[in-house]
Amino acid sequence: MKFLTRAFGYCLLPSLAIFLIISFIPASSFASDVGNCLLCHKYPGISRVDEDGKMKLFYVNESIFTNSVHTKVKCEGCHTDITKIPHEPAKKVDCLVECHIVEPSSEKKFSHKDVETFIAKSVHGKIDEKGTEKKYIEDFPECKDCHDNPLYRPLSFFKKVRPGISEASLGRCRVCHKKDEFIYRFYNHITTRLHKSRSPLNIAEVCARCHDDPGIVARHEMSTKAVFSYGETFHGKAAQYLDERVPDCLDCHVNKGESVHQMLSKENPDSSINDKNRGKICTNIDCHPNASPKLATYAVHSEFNLDQSPAQYYFTVFFIILTGGTLLPLMFIILLDIIRRFAPHAMIGRKK
Amino acid sequence: MATTTENIAITPEATEPERDYTYVEDVGNIPRDIYKYVKSDPLGDLPRYSLHIVAQHFLTFLTFLILASTGLTLHFADLWWAPYVMSLFGGPDLARLIHRFAAALMVLASVYHVITLIAGTVQKIMKKQFNISRTQIPILKDIQDITHDIRYFLGKEPYRPKMNKFMYKQKLHYFAIIWGTFVLITAGTTLLYPEMMATIWPNPQFAQDLARLMHADEAIMAITVIVFWHWSNVHLVPGRFPLQWSFITGKITREHQLEEHFMEYLHNLEEIPEEKEYMKKLLKDKGFETK
Ligand code: HEC
Ligand code: HEC
Ligand code: HEC
Ligand code: HEC
Ligand code: HEC
Ligand code: HEC
Repeated sequence: MKFLTRAFGYCLLPSLAIFLIISFIPASSFASDVGNCLLCHKYPGISRVDEDGKMKLFYVNESIFTNSVHTKVKCEGCHTDITKIPHEPAKKVDCLVECHIVEPSSEKKFSHKDVETFIAKSVHGKIDEKGTEKKYIEDFPECKDCHDNPLYRPLSFFKKVRPGISEASLGRCRVCHKKDEFIYRFYNHITTRLHKSRSPLNIAEVCARCHDDPGIVARHEMSTKAVFSYGETFHGKAAQYLDERVPDCLDCHVNKGESVHQMLSKENPDSSINDKNRGKICTNIDCHPNASPKLATYAVHSEFNLDQSPAQYYFTVFFIILTGGTLLPLMFIILLDIIRRFAPHAMIGRKK
Repeated sequence: MATTTENIAITPEATEPERDYTYVEDVGNIPRDIYKYVKSDPLGDLPRYSLHIVAQHFLTFLTFLILASTGLTLHFADLWWAPYVMSLFGGPDLARLIHRFAAALMVLASVYHVITLIAGTVQKIMKKQFNISRTQIPILKDIQDITHDIRYFLGKEPYRPKMNKFMYKQKLHYFAIIWGTFVLITAGTTLLYPEMMATIWPNPQFAQDLARLMHADEAIMAITVIVFWHWSNVHLVPGRFPLQWSFITGKITREHQLEEHFMEYLHNLEEIPEEKEYMKKLLKDKGFETK
């Protein structure tokens, strides 16, 4: 039951959020569909049953794709092996492929290769310091385990900060830039990066598939189902209500100014959550700037179970016993009272 | 109950005087089940709570409902109903604000209560009217009352015990509230001022963990007790349904006073001459006064 309600909550809120974001973006069609792949792939029914008997959907929702960060990338830019129509079964897309888009500041062809070097150095890297492969390598995340095709999340600052595009700002761009497609794309491109591209809840969901998986947690000797325990704290509860101000996993696990892919184990002295550095996370200017270092001793991943925190666990048990132990006898007395009120003259063991 | 029961009081021959009657000077022998024969105004006949206590109950019950509904919704943020309830409060930010405001008000009500309590007690001691059996302080008699009452419910006693102004149920509940308020205020303060409390508690991590646990656990316990226990007692039990007006009028019905707070009724007889007249007349009308 709890699982069901959780699953429902997880699906409902993000989809609402996505729906909201999408509904802020004016309809526009500037997809870079050079090969006209959408001629066929825009039909929702397009699908096939694969060798394992699983139904695979090949539908591409055009309006979602055009509002995603990859809108400028041609279909063939990622699906590099698709060259003819009708096509052969496609290979998996390699996220690190060099694409035809040129990054203006370096004027080099763009690729996500740098991210891989960050990941390799992080706790999610598959090779350890000594150069040997880590155990249970299949548990380690690939790009696509953490990413889908992210949508733009534009912001308007014109009068007040709010989600969406400001027509007034666009009007300014139009004074100098003539192509609306260009203006929209770069407006989105920039303003999406001026804040988190996902809500804390969304980030937590990304990590949950591994960090709430009891198998992975046990195999890698981690002390907590991290997303569950985050959800028990006030940060996590606020995140449930789509609060964007509370810290998400990355705010605590990534040193400021570094790539989010450089998360480190708490044993690592460079790690943001290492005992030495932890105070700095809490006293972040946006969080608890005047807090004493003692604030950083607060547990953020407590599950209050028997293994992790026995004292707290027994306290909970004590409370349950106290509640049950007082309430049940009291309820029993009330029950007797009620019964007696329906038969006020019944006497046992003696005559009236 | 009183109006529907047609039974006549136990005939004098078959009775044991000590058990079946209570002799009151100037009034006569009051049968133990006299509460079935008295006239009662549903709004209450006899004084029970001062205006202060009525005000405090009002504050507590309002803030309790607000705190429980906002608190539960924040605590169970991941359950399906939470977002709907939350939207009633205008979102989590507003809900937290309301929760804190109500908490402050409840603390105020508690302080107000303590002041009333101290001032009232001092006043009574000065006037030499202080009587421990008319207070919430548990005494040996309460335990006797519990066993007596259970025996009555089981049909082993013909009448309920002669209980004081506050019967055992009420004393238990009162102490549960003192304990609960203490725990909730301490834990709540620890949660509300995490930065300050980190420097105050000797072991801040443990204190924070406990605060998180206890604030929720104690609140859930309090809600269970209020819903199942308090509401059963004051609303659902036959004879009390649908509610008693004491929480507004501060008065208790004659019937209820006689049934569950007989000792307090005797006190009323001493204090209120009209009540004495009423009881005398009743005994006479019903033909009990001969004994
Ligand atoms: C003439 C219609 C048509 C066009 C144009 C088309 N596709 Fe397809 N595509 C299909 C069909 C039909 C399938 C399902 C293939 C199957 O049943 O094996 C498919 C399947 C795919 C798959 C999944 C293949 C797999 O085995 O997993 C990919 C990826 C794909 N198309 C990409 C593209 C790209 C990129 C383009 C543009 C260059 C494109 N398609 C253009 C009809 C088309
Ligand atoms: C940024 C890179 C990128 C772009 C651009 C892109 N795709 Fe994909 N596409 C992927 C990835 C990643 C997958 C997931 C399957 C995989 O890992 O290969 C995928 C999956 C698909 C599938 C389902 C294949 C399957 O096996 O489930 C279809 C069909 C498809 N894409 C069509 C398109 C079409 C049509 C376009 C252009 C409108 C397009 N893609 C643009 C990266 C891309
Ligand atoms: C452990 C999960 C994880 C893995 C594995 C991962 N990423 Fe990320 N990545 C994230 C998170 C979380 C963000 C933060 C972006 C956000 O706020 O949504 C991010 C951000 C990014 C960004 C910046 C996006 C932006 O709009 O600011 C890029 C680009 C990126 N990742 C590419 C990759 C590539 C390429 C790989 C594979 C080599 C990869 N990531 C692997 C979790 C991951
Ligand atoms: C006053 C005229 C003016 C306005 C207003 C203006 N731009 Fe520009 N923009 C320019 C000029 C000129 C350049 C080239 C400058 C350079 O390369 O240093 C440029 C460059 C750019 C580039 C870099 C293009 C590249 O490939 O190097 C982007 C992106 C851009 N503008 C987006 C916008 C957006 C979005 C807006 C509105 C929010 C906007 N601009 C408003 C004049 C303007
Ligand atoms: C408020 C800051 C904060 C947030 C938010 C946070 N963490 Fe942590 N996390 C920490 C700290 C501090 C530790 C070190 C815990 C310790 O020493 O007990 C830690 C430890 C961990 C660990 C290692 C547990 C172990 O085995 O010791 C994992 C995994 C982890 N966090 C994942 C996550 C994930 C996933 C999220 C998001 C759902 C998250 N964290 C959110 C601060 C945070
Ligand atoms: C595909 C699975 C997967 C995903 C998704 C994933 N992780 Fe991990 N993560 C792991 C594994 C496996 C380890 C254990 C690494 C080891 O054994 O050294 C780990 C370790 C960690 C640690 C270090 C724990 C320690 O021992 O101190 C942190 C912190 C962490 N992950 C944070 C995150 C965050 C934050 C996210 C979401 C953005 C995330 N992870 C997403 C698989 C994953």
